[in-house]
Amino acid sequence: QIILCLPRSFEYSQKNAVLVSAATLGVGGMLVYWLRSRHKIKTIEMGDGWWGLGERLVKGKEDESIHPFKIETSDKEIEDLHRRLEQARYAPPLEGAAFHYGFNSSYLQKVVAYWRNQFDWRKQVEVLNKYPHFQTNIEGITIHFIHVKPSYVPHGRAVQPLLMVHGWPGSFYEFYKIIPFLTEPARHGLNEGDVVFEVICPSIPGYGFSEAPHQKGFDTIATARIFHKLMNRLGFKEYYLQGGDWGSRITTNMAQMLPQSVKGLHLNFVFISRQGLRRMISVMLGAYVPWLVGLTREDVRRTYPFIQKNIYELLRESGYLHIQATKPDTAGCGLNDSPVGLAAYILEKFSTWTDKSFLHKEDGGLESKYSLDELLTNVMIYWVTSSIVSSMRFYKENFSKYPGLTADARVGVYVPTGIAAFPQELVHTPHAWAKEIFKNIINYSYMPHGGHFAAFEEPKLLAQDIMHFVRKVEQL
Amino acid sequence: SCSIMLLEVFLVLGTVIIYFLLSKKKEETLPFKEGWWGKGQKPDTEEDTTVWPFKVETTEEELSDLFRRLDHARFTEPLENSCFHYGTNSMYLRKVISYWKNQFNWKKQVEVLNKYPQFKTKIQGIDIHFVHVKPPRLPEGQSAKPLLMVHGWPGSFYEFYKIIPLLTDPASHGLSDEHIFEVICPSIPGYGFSEAPHKKDFNSVSAASIFYELMLRLGFNEFYAQGGDWGWLICTNLAQIAPNHMKGLHLNLASVTNMGFTHLLSILLGRYLPGLFGFQDEDVRRMFPFLKKGLYRILLESGYAHIQATKPDTVGCGLNDSPVGLAAYILEKFSTWTDLEFHNLEDGGLERKFNLDDLLTNIMIYWVSGCIVSSMRFYKENLQKGIGTQKHERLTVQVPTGIASFPNEVMHTPQAWAQKKYTNIVSFHFMPRGGHFAALEEPELLAEDILQFVGKVEKEQLWRKK
Repeated sequence: QIILCLPRSFEYSQKNAVLVSAATLGVGGMLVYWLRSRHKIKTIEMGDGWWGLGERLVKGKEDESIHPFKIETSDKEIEDLHRRLEQARYAPPLEGAAFHYGFNSSYLQKVVAYWRNQFDWRKQVEVLNKYPHFQTNIEGITIHFIHVKPSYVPHGRAVQPLLMVHGWPGSFYEFYKIIPFLTEPARHGLNEGDVVFEVICPSIPGYGFSEAPHQKGFDTIATARIFHKLMNRLGFKEYYLQGGDWGSRITTNMAQMLPQSVKGLHLNFVFISRQGLRRMISVMLGAYVPWLVGLTREDVRRTYPFIQKNIYELLRESGYLHIQATKPDTAGCGLNDSPVGLAAYILEKFSTWTDKSFLHKEDGGLESKYSLDELLTNVMIYWVTSSIVSSMRFYKENFSKYPGLTADARVGVYVPTGIAAFPQELVHTPHAWAKEIFKNIINYSYMPHGGHFAAFEEPKLLAQDIMHFVRKVEQL
Repeated sequence: SCSIMLLEVFLVLGTVIIYFLLSKKKEETLPFKEGWWGKGQKPDTEEDTTVWPFKVETTEEELSDLFRRLDHARFTEPLENSCFHYGTNSMYLRKVISYWKNQFNWKKQVEVLNKYPQFKTKIQGIDIHFVHVKPPRLPEGQSAKPLLMVHGWPGSFYEFYKIIPLLTDPASHGLSDEHIFEVICPSIPGYGFSEAPHKKDFNSVSAASIFYELMLRLGFNEFYAQGGDWGWLICTNLAQIAPNHMKGLHLNLASVTNMGFTHLLSILLGRYLPGLFGFQDEDVRRMFPFLKKGLYRILLESGYAHIQATKPDTVGCGLNDSPVGLAAYILEKFSTWTDLEFHNLEDGGLERKFNLDDLLTNIMIYWVSGCIVSSMRFYKENLQKGIGTQKHERLTVQVPTGIASFPNEVMHTPQAWAQKKYTNIVSFHFMPRGGHFAALEEPELLAEDILQFVGKVEKEQLWRKK
């Protein structure tokens, strides 16, 4: 009887065993898949690129050496500039125009007189060279950067590497005033305790002393990849990122590309699309019941009247973007040949993007926030490197026909993020909207004053916010 | 920026739907716009109404200054294989500059400019420059018909130099001499040798009012008007200000800025139901697919208008100081607006339809008069409040109108749309070839169309008299 029962029970348990193990595997597999998919972070593909002249040389390894670099000038360069300044042709402004038609040419003549007679480029070159500069070749082009280490590090203190990326029409020079606050906080009245940085400020390829790409298609993703390679080459595995303007999009792409290398991302400008039905509803509701859609009172103050601030003012200020995103070589041609034209074009942004009310001033309010020396030094970087055209091409390469479909538009940002929202920024992005892309905002500050060129205009405020953010990240 | 533009288009459309629903197009006239555009306060004295002859002049100093700037021009290498996709290709620009320095003869071109009689007169406080060409001979019993021709940007009165002989002396050029014209080509204030306004708010209605005064001052009670680009808008405004003085309005551009719900509908469905919206086969061919031929094309080509309508003094500054920059900026338009496909060519196809002497003469007019900045301000004065928002855009035109629709114009306007504004279209022709700068590129075609249009108008008038 046992012999008779045995085959049956064996068969039953075999089936059972198969079923149970299959079920376990199935459930287990699903569980594992579910767990992994929750934590699976989509990233942007790194890819690769070549931006040098002609075909890429397949043979031989890329030259990875880093060599020190010093900015130089010559009598010839200065005389050529002076001659052009002396022979500048101006068109008189309309009566009562202030800065409403663009840069007021009566004030421009005063700026040029200073430029010709008082501005000392040789002295400014020494100022620029006070931080160590380097150049290295990545993906076929020369990348320029400054690398500033703290002069004194107390025992046991960790130094955080911080990559800071500029935008247009700025340069690495925008960071010169904030660097001391970050590398030597104690000496400059900041007592953020345990946070000290070594700062790396590269020039975006096509800007300043970084070589311009020779091939089409050089966008923020290519820049992000190149800057990751740079940090890697410098020996850093994990680092902090900071950016505004193009720097904001580049550092965001960096966080989307290699999140494991980015300890934290700090932005003073947020690129966020204003499209979408949900956004429109949020905007409409936000005017009446802001709390319902997650907007604070300060958000409302900075965002409304919506049409005025986000559409009308944006249209008024985006002509440069439109022409640079479509015909950069045309727009930049005259500016590379006329330093006065270049100054008018660039300094107009330093006026309007610092404070919108500066439009009503005859002198554009420029000297109320900046010195002519520092404004002209930035302009000179574009002039002596002849980089205005390549800097404009970056707009065309980045504004594709289908903005919602680019690789980075669908990928979220999961690294710890800090946002410093300055009141005079071109457009205000509330925390509630930034959350859609930036999934891990651990700090959002309404800054008390300041505009688009935060590092240049309010270095101490920005430095304090960066340090506050980094302290939070380090404590996580 | 694409989404912003789209949003703007929809906003404008939305606003206008409301107008469309709430108001009917009125047959009002546009009021004449008084103004004082001179420096400072308007003096109490009577305005000086004399007309004095004018000749373009040049000096050695002017030429040597130009050559020095051309010699020291700084160029930027174009990207590999970019042709004209990023704007004017600097390799081709170098060739143009070399021709400009070594072969172009400005003194000779000044003589060419001076071959037609030119004059100046002061209106509303500023000096207005114009060319006035009378027919060399008139058959027995015939009188010359006055024809006002208005240029645009980045053109000038010089654009008409090839078509003028066809209109003042048609018989010598193989055309019928049933209608002979005396042609008046003014320079828009702020362009070329017309003084630039010193005050804000000088728009197309201001220009139309000034040209109206000009024609009256020259003793013309009735005249024809012809225009493209800004000339289109100024002549349209003139027809709205003084319909009783304008016998006929001929246009080679007929944009419609006051779009409504029916326009949107016709864009969405016009490709499939052309008959329903009054579209002809050629209209469909030129307009659709709309996204590619309408919206994207406008976005791609309107960067200059956007920046000129907002920051003209900024963008013009460098161009008034660098002749190379000025040439690059202006030549790009003569390339792309003549044929959009030209942006696939290394040399922008410029010399296929124009010769360098003509192109450079037009650029020199902007250079020697230093008018690039004031020419750009016209965009701000006309566009800063938005497109479709001005009073004159809602008014219709009852003057007999003739439209020559050139195939390579940046955006095509079908007759179905044009006739909502131009209620008395006497002729509408699809031209076989040619682009935006019709008078310079296809003078015979344009002249023939003007002549047949005037013929129709005159016949209609005779018939009415009987």
